Parts: sequence; structure tokens; C-alpha cells
Amino acid sequence: MKKKEFLRFLKEKANFIRKQTIKFHLAIPETRIASSLSCIEILVTLYYGKIFNFKNDRIVISKGHGAISLYPILIDLGFLKNIKIENKKSLSLLGSIPDINLPTINLINGSLGHGLGQGCGIAIAMRMRKLNGKIFVLIGDGELYEGSCWEAIMFAGHHRLDNLIVIVDNNKISMLDYCKKIINLEPLDKKFQDFGFESKSINGHNILDLYNTLTSFKKSSSKRPKLLIANTIKGKGVAKLEKNPLCHIMSLEKKDVKEILDKKL
Amino acid sequence: MNQIESIVLREKLIEEIYKIMKKDKNIFFLTDDFGAKALDKLRRDFSERFINIGIAEQNLINIAIGLAYEGFTVFCYGISTFITMRCYEQLRNLSLFAELKEFNINIIGVGTGYSYELSGPTHHCVEDISIMKTLPNFMIFSPSNEFILKYIVDFSIECKKPKYIRLEGKPLKKFTYIYKKKNNFSDGLSILKEGKDFYIIGTGNMTHRAIEVAEELEKYKINAGVIDLYRIKPINSELLIEIVKNVRGIITIEEHLLAGGMGSAILEVLADNQINLPVKRFGVRDKYLYAYGGRENIQKICGLDKGSIVKDTLDWVKKI
Repeated sequence: MKKKEFLRFLKEKANFIRKQTIKFHLAIPETRIASSLSCIEILVTLYYGKIFNFKNDRIVISKGHGAISLYPILIDLGFLKNIKIENKKSLSLLGSIPDINLPTINLINGSLGHGLGQGCGIAIAMRMRKLNGKIFVLIGDGELYEGSCWEAIMFAGHHRLDNLIVIVDNNKISMLDYCKKIINLEPLDKKFQDFGFESKSINGHNILDLYNTLTSFKKSSSKRPKLLIANTIKGKGVAKLEKNPLCHIMSLEKKDVKEILDKKL
Repeated sequence: MNQIESIVLREKLIEEIYKIMKKDKNIFFLTDDFGAKALDKLRRDFSERFINIGIAEQNLINIAIGLAYEGFTVFCYGISTFITMRCYEQLRNLSLFAELKEFNINIIGVGTGYSYELSGPTHHCVEDISIMKTLPNFMIFSPSNEFILKYIVDFSIECKKPKYIRLEGKPLKKFTYIYKKKNNFSDGLSILKEGKDFYIIGTGNMTHRAIEVAEELEKYKINAGVIDLYRIKPINSELLIEIVKNVRGIITIEEHLLAGGMGSAILEVLADNQINLPVKRFGVRDKYLYAYGGRENIQKICGLDKGSIVKDTLDWVKKI
């Protein structure tokens, strides 16, 4: 496949997974939809863009509540058999926060602020065993209020964990407000850089940018941990969510998303 | 009972870990910048597998989780108060991950009870049994002497579950004949002295107090046996009941809050098995101590010195 076609394929997958994630949410309204919509392109690029190698790489999902889009991805890829988004009964096997028994996922956390440290442990272990793979850690920006994140960031920089790739789903909204109103995290890249990270800030819904940056991180020979700041929109694709700083705790009804679901790919 | 020379449990435990790390390359040792003499050798010889995480217990446990996920055995070393309480949610995450997968992580907490006798209540560790006991999938060891340490280390490698090993921080008296019969480590408890009237159950440093109390009670014609409870979770309830079923009552001694401690675990075992035996618990009442002036002084304040325990026991015996 040529790169252009490949990118189109990824974009179509992202649209498909977005629709499926919304359908999943409509079936189980307790799930956190806004937080899950912001990281769809990130997960699609990792899973369908051949960035994340199931065999050699590891992935820790630290913002577990915002990862229900993993379900449609894993169903589509054939990892979750006998489960259909259309079948509510089969969905009852799945929690609103996926657990560590989910295929391809190494560790996943419901409580925030733990994944980065766990990822550092995996990075050290992989280095010790001389494994070539990478360890990806997906975190949220609001999660960075947890002090344990910074303990791990200091550690990763000092130990030059060059096999660690941290992706921040920078959707700029926490549960109750915009992060900049709670405690401003910016300039985020500078903070990480000061702790020894190599960082890049991109549009987290732009598949080309995601693909190129993650590919260059995978190939990089720099001895530093990597940070991808994926600037995203919380609730991406659903107007009602995109505009509301309280979207984290909002659930959708069919009429809210009818247009998106009806749209042909 | 002959008591000769003293022993610092952590030094001995680290020596055992050193031996096993030399043979087994699959072991990491993490510390939160907390040391011991014996650590120097370990740090020097296993520089790749010894990591000083810094004063960051939350990160220490998370890193241990990552390492253990990849199949390494991990020892996590720190002051008992901080390596349990500062990172309690990380330990809870470990406990819930361990429900689904193998995680061989061994938390070594040093300085239980009033080991840090001069540092005041921030360093007193009188809640650890209670909070660690409540975490599913965790085992708890509370050794009183050096014989057990080798078994604990061997078992740590073999049993791929989270464990909490709590250690007295100060030197303990070394006993020459502490275990009369050949002890079976997997029993989780050991009879140090057979008893006809009562059994005194001690754990950690308080097993030594239990022996002193039992000897003193002989002067009052009370024959009390002594049990060293070195595995607090799971308690070997079958063996415990077998031992105590024919005595008049049980006395428990711990340098820990009474709420949720070892004594309360014994009460649960008895109640859950319909054993109706009087129990006298010695431990710390519901308060924090701003007390200094040495360990003995602190123990006296909370009624855990030999004299207070003997006196209170004699009063209690008259009532039952």
C-alpha cells in the first residue's frame, strides 16, 4: 500500500472506530465518552498504523476510563471474539474501564497517575532483557496533577529510558473544568524537556502527524525518553461535547449523534 | 532461656537476598533511598539490578509492578511506615493486578512498632498489619528471629505473589534454642514453649516479650506456652486451633494498634471457627504517642512492658 492510501485507510478506520465507540457508549451510557473520543486517532495510529508491534512492544493505558475505544478496535482486529457492539448482552462482559486481561494491553489503570511509573518499570525490564521493543504509555493531561507522574518523569529522564514513548492525550479538560483554570500545565513540553525528555507537540487528530512522529520516535537513536503531546479535543466529533467543559461526565443519547452515525464513510 | 548476642533482622535478610541474587539473575532490589550496612555489597555487586529510586515510594511500587509484569522478582525496601502508607494505593493496584496475573513483589518494611523510638509518631509504625492485612492476594510475614529469614527469602522467590515482610528495626536478642522441634516454615507459626493453662501469641519483636512474660508467669504458678506467629496472613487457623483448643485462654502481644492488628486477626479466627476462648489482647490503644525517652519508656506508656503485661494478665486470669 502506498503511503497516501495507507493514510486514507487509517482515517477511515478512525471514523469507523469513532462510530463504533459511540455505539458502544449508547449501549452502556456509564462509559466516559468524551475522554474516549479524544484519543481515537492516537489508538488507531498505534494499532492499525503498525506503530505498536503486538509481539515486541508493550503498551500501558494509564487513562483507563478514556479507553473504551479499545473495545471496538480489538473486536475489529479479531482479538475479542464473540463480542459485537450491536449485541448488548455480549457487551455486558466488558467494563467501563477495561482490565488487564484485555488482549494486547499490558497494563491498564482505572486510577490515575500510575501508568507512567509502571511503564518505567517495564522499560527497565526490557532493557535488562535486551529486548528491542518500545513501551508506549498513554496518559491524560489532567492526570499530570498526580504527583506520582512527576516521580516517574524524573526517573525516566535520569535513567535515560530511551525505549519509553509517552503519549499525552492533551484534551485540556479535566472532570470539572479546563485544566488551565485548575492549574495551568503549560508549557508542558518544556517541563518534560527539563527532565530529559525529547518531545514533540502535534495535532492529535491528524493521522499523518501522529504516524510520522511516532515512526520517528521508534527509529530515534537518541538516548532519551520520548514525549508526544497530542493536542486533542475532548469529545471530538460530537458538537454537544466539544463545547462543554463538563463533557467528561456527560452521556449521549441517540439524537445527539444520529448525524455522525448516519454519515457514510 | 539462654539469650546470647543480638541480631539485626534487616542485615541478615539482606545477606540472604545477596546470596540468592548472586545465583538468580532474575531479581531486582529497589530502595527508596533507605540503607543498611549489608546493602553496600549488594549495591556494589549488582549495580544493574539494584536501583535507588529516590525518596519516591509511589514510583518505587509502580516500577516494581512494571518489572514484575515482565517476570522479574522484585524486593522493595524501605522504612515500614513509608513503604506501606505513602504508596498504599499503588500496593492496592498491585493487589488487584495480582488477582489476574503473577506479580512477585516483596515489600520489606523496616522499623515496625516503636523501632524509631526517638523520631516520634510520624515514624512509629503501628498500623501496618491492619492496612496490609486488608489487601487481598498479599501475604504478611512478621519474623522474630533470624532462622526464619532464609525461609522467607526462599519462599519469596518460589511463591509468585505480593508479600509484605515487616521487620523490627532494632537489634533483637538471639535465642539459642528457640525452636525445640524442627520447625516447618509453611506452618506459619511455631510453638516456642508448650503450655497447659494459656498460650501467649507474639509476633515480630513482641515474640521476645511473650517469652519473658511466660517465664515470669511461672512464678505465679501459671503455665503459659508461647507461639511465634511469623505469618500473619494467611493465619494457619487449623494448626492454631489444634494448639490452643485445650487451654483456658489466649494472650496476644503486639507493638501495633489493637484495631485490626494481629490480636484482632486471632479473634476473627476463633469467632469464625466457633471457638469460645477468653482472649486478652495487648497492643496500642486508639492513640498516637508523642513519647520519647527510649523504647522501654514508650512501651511502658502503652502498657507493653513486661511488668504491665504480667500484672494485667494476672488480673485478667482472676476474672475468667
